[in-house]
Amino acid sequence: MKTRSLTRRSVLAGTAAAAGLAAFRPMAPFISNAEAAATKLRLLMWQPYAIKETIAEFESSTGASFSPTFFDGNSEAFNKMKVGGTKDFDIVQADGFWPRLYFRQGLTQAVDYAKLPNTKNVFPEFLPDKFTLLADEKGEHNVAAPNCWGGYGITVNTSKIAPEDVGSISLLLNEKYKGHFSSNSRFEENIAQMGILAATNLGTIDKPREDGQPFNPYHLTDAELAETKKLLIAQKKLLLTRYQDYDALDRLMRGGAIWAAPEFAETYRHLKVMRAEGKIDFDVQHVLKPKEGGLGWVDTWMISSGADSEQAELALKWINLYLSKENFARVVRSTGYGGTVDVRSLLKPEEIDLYFQEKSADASQLHMFDQPSSPEKWERIWSDVEAS
Amino acid sequence: MNGMSLRAASRRRPGLRFAALVAPGALFIVIGLMLPLLAIVVFSFWRTESYELYADWSLDNYRTLLGEAAYRTFFLRSLVTAILVTVICLVCGWPVAYFIARHGGRYRLLLVLLLAAPFFTGVILRIAALQGLLGPVGLINMGLTMVGLPPIEALMYTKLAAGLGLVYLFIPFMVTAIYLSLVNFNFELLEVAKINGARPWRAFIEITWPLNWIGTAIGMILVFIPCLANAVTPRFLGGPEATSLGMSLAGQFGETGTWALGSAMGVFLFAVSLLAIFCIAPTIRLKRSGFTGTSLT
Repeated sequence: MKTRSLTRRSVLAGTAAAAGLAAFRPMAPFISNAEAAATKLRLLMWQPYAIKETIAEFESSTGASFSPTFFDGNSEAFNKMKVGGTKDFDIVQADGFWPRLYFRQGLTQAVDYAKLPNTKNVFPEFLPDKFTLLADEKGEHNVAAPNCWGGYGITVNTSKIAPEDVGSISLLLNEKYKGHFSSNSRFEENIAQMGILAATNLGTIDKPREDGQPFNPYHLTDAELAETKKLLIAQKKLLLTRYQDYDALDRLMRGGAIWAAPEFAETYRHLKVMRAEGKIDFDVQHVLKPKEGGLGWVDTWMISSGADSEQAELALKWINLYLSKENFARVVRSTGYGGTVDVRSLLKPEEIDLYFQEKSADASQLHMFDQPSSPEKWERIWSDVEAS
Repeated sequence: MNGMSLRAASRRRPGLRFAALVAPGALFIVIGLMLPLLAIVVFSFWRTESYELYADWSLDNYRTLLGEAAYRTFFLRSLVTAILVTVICLVCGWPVAYFIARHGGRYRLLLVLLLAAPFFTGVILRIAALQGLLGPVGLINMGLTMVGLPPIEALMYTKLAAGLGLVYLFIPFMVTAIYLSLVNFNFELLEVAKINGARPWRAFIEITWPLNWIGTAIGMILVFIPCLANAVTPRFLGGPEATSLGMSLAGQFGETGTWALGSAMGVFLFAVSLLAIFCIAPTIRLKRSGFTGTSLT
């Protein structure tokens, strides 16, 4: 058999072709209408969920190709869909209150759960009848399917913090541990989390609200915001620093400089593994839902309103495959996030604990991440705190 | 017009050739520098609401910026830090630049290039290195703890740590500017002063310092202006008490999405920087500097 030899010219030609393809790749969503003639599932999604084994399984079972475009924040994806993205994507991801907004704006279509037999694997707390954010306001249409979840709880070094002080947001204001706290540098989570404590202190958390909606820490009243500001200023004096990234928090907790910090449980999971391996000599605990309430998110899959029936079918196949137990065990191990699918039978006991498989009831009661009701007002509060 | 006639035309009109040479650079400056600046000025008079910009013209952002105590605090922190860092860089940088220019010999260029060594890595990496040195689990404090001494709290996420970080980041600019001035300086003048009975300190005050003022002034501007707007260093090293105007500005364009107020902050910082340049410019006399080719007139 005659084989082609690898010459400098052929390498250069190949490299040039690859570079050319790579250069035009970012434009893919804008040329994909023409490309869509071939069977291809086009997704606007978060990168951690593009797991190669899952993609390979999908492509081999459907014969379709997988074409993802990644985004960072909900607003970025929403804006892409608003400016013609419905024609360019079959699937889009979002969390919190966003799926309802997408549906209200006509950017997504209803999700037919009858075609998602694997929803039987989902914890009941994350199905639309209990987790109502997966359906529209009237409860007439399911607008999204659940994926992973996460919380913004408090990770605690239990060798340093007394057990009676754990379990409440007020731990972060305990003078006993001055200089051993850290908090995220993002203003939304700081204000929203302290807003829950403020509303609890004021006794307004369970009272009827002007908008007729249940309490939402992203929609605080002026009195609650004023109390929140007071609490944040008091907390600031007790902080060692506001961490910028997980590596920093990880380092500070590992070194014993920080004893408690609100975070997305990434540091907790890492420290927990290190403890099991004997690399650190203290115990850690993560308070997912403090007694006053906690913050969290549930990622979802939605189907674009621009997807025709054939593409919508393909999208449903992807979602269904994703919700299979075998795949979801892979997803939680790969991403480290909590799973809305019950995969306890496939995980080791320590993994069940690590990925919060027993905490889905708590998770579904968390206050979902949202946009501040007035970013301008929140910015002013945050500036006052930072300048104090 | 074909190539030949274009060449002939440019030969006849040297101005055309000059314009052709200047045009690409000038166009880049206009598009890459002036237009964004203009956009910032325009946005500063608009309004932001829930992450959207509205073209409602007013001075509200400037009123907020100058009227709210929080932003005044951020500005004062930034200003005091920038002044202190500039002075420290000046005091520490002058002897180094002088030593290299006077005694560096054939290694002068190498020594100056060594000053640029930190620039071989990104700013975040350099800040991370400083964190690894100054932080509570950094080299210094861990070392002290290991020998039974208490850690130095002043180095752990404080304004002092942020200040040290800024000096570390910007001192090479100061040294380089002063060095470039000193390499054009005629050191024989110091010998003349000595022969005429001047002590070294007086010779420095009356000859070296004034004749190299341009390099010093440029160094001061190169340190002061970026320090004033710096966001990264106080963010990573400064702790909760070190929020600067630059950090607040970065936040307006990032998570809070209050672009209009952020633009007003940008314009304000730009104006303060211009003011600093206008204040220092009249003190520079090019004829007394080595840059004009004449050492003394």
